[in-house]
This record gives sequence, C-alpha cells and structure tokens, in this order.
Amino acid sequence: MTSQYIALPKGVSEETFDAAIHDFRKVLGDASVLTSAEQLAPYIKTMMPVSDAEHTPSAALLATTVEQIQKIVAICNQYKVPIWMISTGKNLGYGSAAPAERGQVVLDLKRMNRILEVDKDLAFALVEPGVTYQQLYDHIKEHKLGLWLSMPAPSAIAGPVGNTLDRGVGYTPYGEQFLFACGMEVVLANGEVLRTGMGSMPNSNTWQVFKWGYGPYLDGIFTQSNYGIVTKFGFWLMPEPPAFKPFVIQYQHEEDIVEIVETIRPLRISGVIPNAVVIAHALYEAPVKAKRSDYVSGPGSIPDEAVYRIMKDHKLGIWNVYAALYGTQEQIDVNWSIVTQAFSQSGKAKILTEQEAADDPAFVYRAKLMRGDMTLTEFSLYNWRGGGGSMWFAPVSQARGSETLKQMALTKQILAKHGLDYSGEFIVGMRDMHHIVDVLYDKTDPEQTKAAYQCFDELLTEFSARGYGTYRVNTAFMDKVAETYGPVQRNVHKTLKKALDPNGILAPGKSGIR
Amino acid sequence: MKKTKLENWLFGFLFAVIFAAGNAWSAQDEINNSGFAWKDGAEIYAKVCAYCHEAQVGHEVQVGPQIRHRKLPITYIRTVVRNGNRAMPSFRSSEIDDESLEKLANFLSQK
Repeated sequence: MTSQYIALPKGVSEETFDAAIHDFRKVLGDASVLTSAEQLAPYIKTMMPVSDAEHTPSAALLATTVEQIQKIVAICNQYKVPIWMISTGKNLGYGSAAPAERGQVVLDLKRMNRILEVDKDLAFALVEPGVTYQQLYDHIKEHKLGLWLSMPAPSAIAGPVGNTLDRGVGYTPYGEQFLFACGMEVVLANGEVLRTGMGSMPNSNTWQVFKWGYGPYLDGIFTQSNYGIVTKFGFWLMPEPPAFKPFVIQYQHEEDIVEIVETIRPLRISGVIPNAVVIAHALYEAPVKAKRSDYVSGPGSIPDEAVYRIMKDHKLGIWNVYAALYGTQEQIDVNWSIVTQAFSQSGKAKILTEQEAADDPAFVYRAKLMRGDMTLTEFSLYNWRGGGGSMWFAPVSQARGSETLKQMALTKQILAKHGLDYSGEFIVGMRDMHHIVDVLYDKTDPEQTKAAYQCFDELLTEFSARGYGTYRVNTAFMDKVAETYGPVQRNVHKTLKKALDPNGILAPGKSGIR
Repeated sequence: MKKTKLENWLFGFLFAVIFAAGNAWSAQDEINNSGFAWKDGAEIYAKVCAYCHEAQVGHEVQVGPQIRHRKLPITYIRTVVRNGNRAMPSFRSSEIDDESLEKLANFLSQK
C-alpha cells in the first residue's frame, strides 16, 4: 500500500503518524497541518549538494500561539514524533527550511509574527519568531523610533530570531548579534514555558535590559541547539547616529591581508572603528559587477589572471575593506583622521568614501548593510556559478594577519583542487574573524554537485586538523562539525538533551545533538 | 497525611504567585495582538520580489530577471514561488499565503 505521506519520521509507523497528525489537526485546524507534496514543496528546496530526499519533511505545522506549541510538544512526546523548528525559514546555504533528517515534522513559526514591543528610550525590541527584518524596519520607520537594525545580507526576508539563534552576523556596531540578545521565552519539551534572565520573575520590567538574571545564564543553551522552542526574543537596537561615514579601502595583493588585519585589529579593539568590518575578496564582490562567463569558460576554478582582469575592469581591490564610522560629525572627524593615518603608512591602500564610490554598486549595498537598510544585492553571488548551489564554509580565525593569510591560502587551494572558486570574506570581530566562504556550485550539474560535497568535507577535515573550528554549518554536515569539537563537549550536549528532552522530540540532529 | 495549616497557606501563596505571573505575562502579550498580514500584491512585490527582480534606487544591481509586465501565467508564478528555481528560494504559504500569492500574480501581470 502506498503511503499517504511523502515521508515518515524515523522509527514511526504510518499508523502512529496518522494518529499524531489527527491530534495536530485538532489543535491547529486542518488548514494549518500540511502533508501533501504540493504543500510541502517549499520546505524541500535546499542549496546543499545532497539529495532532497534526505531532508524531506513528513508534515509542516503552522502554529501561531504558545498554547498551541505546548499542545504540539505533548503530542510529539506521546507519539515520539520529532519536530524541526523554523522561524522565517530562510537559512540559505545552511539548510533553508528543510529538516536535518528525513521525515521530521517542520514546526513553522513564520505566522507567529507579532512585534510585541519596541522601546525607543531603552532601544530594545521584543518579537516573535516569524517577524522579518523588513517588518521590524517598517515598524521603526512608521513610528519614527530612530533605531537601526543589524542584520545579515538576506535582510528583508530573514528575521532576528532565527538569525540570532543560529548566531548569525550583521554589519553594524551590533553585528555580533547574539552579544545584543536580551531575554527569551522558551517552550520546553515538557510543555513548560521558561522566560530567561529577568523574565523569570513575575512583574519584572527588566527582561529586555539586563541579560543575566540570577544563577547560571541560560540563553546560550538555546542557540544553535535543540533544547527548547524560542517563542519570544528580546534584543537591543542601535540608536540612529547623527552622522554615518561608510568607506572602502582597497588593496591589490592577496598577501596584503596581513597588513589589513594588523592595521584594523587595534582600531577595532579600541573602538575607533565600531562596526563589524568586512574584508571581502574580489570574487565575493565581483558578481555584483561582472559575469563569470565573460572571463572564464569550461571546468575548473577561475585562474588568478582572470581575477586580476575583473579587478581592473570593475575597479575592485583583491581585498575590499568595508567599514564605517558612526557618531557626531566631530567624533567621526577625529576617528577618520586616525583611520586614514593608520592605513596610509605603507602606501598600499586606496581609500574611498561616498564621495568617490557613490555610484559603485558594491559600495552602495555594503553601505546599506552597515546602516541596517534592506538590500538583497548580495544574492548576486548565486549568479556566479548559477544553478542554485551554495554552502557557507565558516571557520573562525584569530584577528591576526598571518592567520588570515594561512586560512585564505588553504581554503583557496582546497577549492581549486575541486574546481571551485574562492568567494570569501572575513568579518572582523574585535579579536576574532568570521571567515565566511560561499562554496558556490551548479546544483543542476551532478559532477559539480559531487565535487562541492567532497570539497566541503575536505575543508572541514583539513581546517579542524589544524585547530580551526567552524562556527556554523549546514544541516548535511552538522554531525561532522560536532565531532571536531571533541567527545567531552558532545557528551555535555547529550546530557543536557537527555535532561531537557528525554524523548528526543525537538530537532534531533541540530548541531549534531540527539 | 493531613495537611497542616502552613502547607495549606503555602499552597495558596504559590498558587497566587503562579496566577499573578500568568497575568503579568498575559498583560504584556496583549500589547499588540494582531500579527502581520500582507495588504496587497504591490506590497509583497516591493518588500520581497523587487529587491532582486528590479534595479534598486542608488545604483544597485538587479539580481534576478524582470518579472513585471511579462504576462507570466499565474500558474507559472505560483509554481516558481512555491518550489523555487535554481538560485531563487522557495516561499512557503506561511510567508505568502495562497490568497496573497494570487494577488501578487495579478499585480505582476498588470500593465
């Protein structure tokens, strides 16, 4: 007999699943329990180089209230049905809206989309998981609140809850998003509702202003995790500065990354440059201006000679350092003088501001990201190879020039071995760098797809062998990355999982935790 | 075992605390009870599609092909939005509900 479902959860019979679906429908209504192939199609498309069948959900549940979610986890516990939680569900290049394992039920919280509070004076927001950056951006504009968002490049269609819970990065002074998170509401696997930090205290009005509460700090265990379902999320917003000065500094040689990082680090640590600076390779910026096919054809990675032609034709550096100053004009003037002095010493840097670069499409979208405006221009990356294949390789580096050069060279070498290009950038924290590389490939080409998988696997193996850890990864490689952090951490994660979710109903496999 | 007066008092106190806590949370929840809903096709186009499918103000590039004024069949639009297509991500009914998707498709085919 053929199944009426397109997939089933691991170890759950169709009869049991039927009963669970019946109960889900009682809670949510028929229209909010999706099981047909047509309804589930949007949950299946990923950019990963694995078969969609490996990540096909059995159903999707569209919940809108905490009470519904409490009832859903009770049903999941009863029938041992696993759920995979998503908020805005984009997560492009990390697994999109598809579950980590075939047959998991997607708990889709996109319709739980209320902006509960935005406080102009204390500059914080409290939102539900389905709120997008666009929605919040419009709310702030409409109410003239004078606050800026920090968001990742898929800005408009992504949201602060999912992005911060996965420890994503933005480009303003609040770019390390989780540093600015403050207070969560979490539905636990047993149905209890936890409010973290000051939120645990009845009548407290400090939930979104003081992170730590009392006792062990818990918010961290609900990020990149499967210990609970975050249903409300507080975070801080940046007051709009009186003045803003974006700039780009270009360098011509790959080895110059050493000078760039050594120059920027003290400026970042001391706060002269306050935002999450980006050091983008020419091939990260090129898709905004150039077509790959105009410079190279056939298989293999793009040769350096072609990259230099692109740089020359499109006024790009091999490294393009995007940063900005924020504050009063007086503050900016002082800091600009410090920045230009620091970068002028070797004579290698070309410094451009809005005056010179206002017409440059790469500069325009980077400036938007650094002031929290909506733009999806970075999606130009997907046109580079075409075919919809993308995985973010995201190792962490020290903010030390020699280290970034080593990481760049190793990444480029492994990518080239598999015929892929180095589309990389470093996002500068104070002492660390998020080295972000878009492993782009044509998913409609089986050979390239296979190469992309092998390449990504090798990148993880080689980097971890040298002590370079990955901070975030797509759902196809979560177990592998979890393994690189060693058995003790895995054991602690597992112990917490058993304590908080003994039936393993919440997103099994997330960050390799089951 | 018979409950002592103290136990009874404690139970009552705890119940009151839990009840008060529930009320405090509910009050905050009621600040804004209405979730987001799309107004019309033009809004969806402007807030989602146009970022890629139309050249943006300020010298930004157009990432995807033009989709307005091309008389694209409604079923084609629905299929691409729901399934995605190569680099184009899929959009779920929880993001753009079926009714709003029809409005978007109509908006795209308008002159």
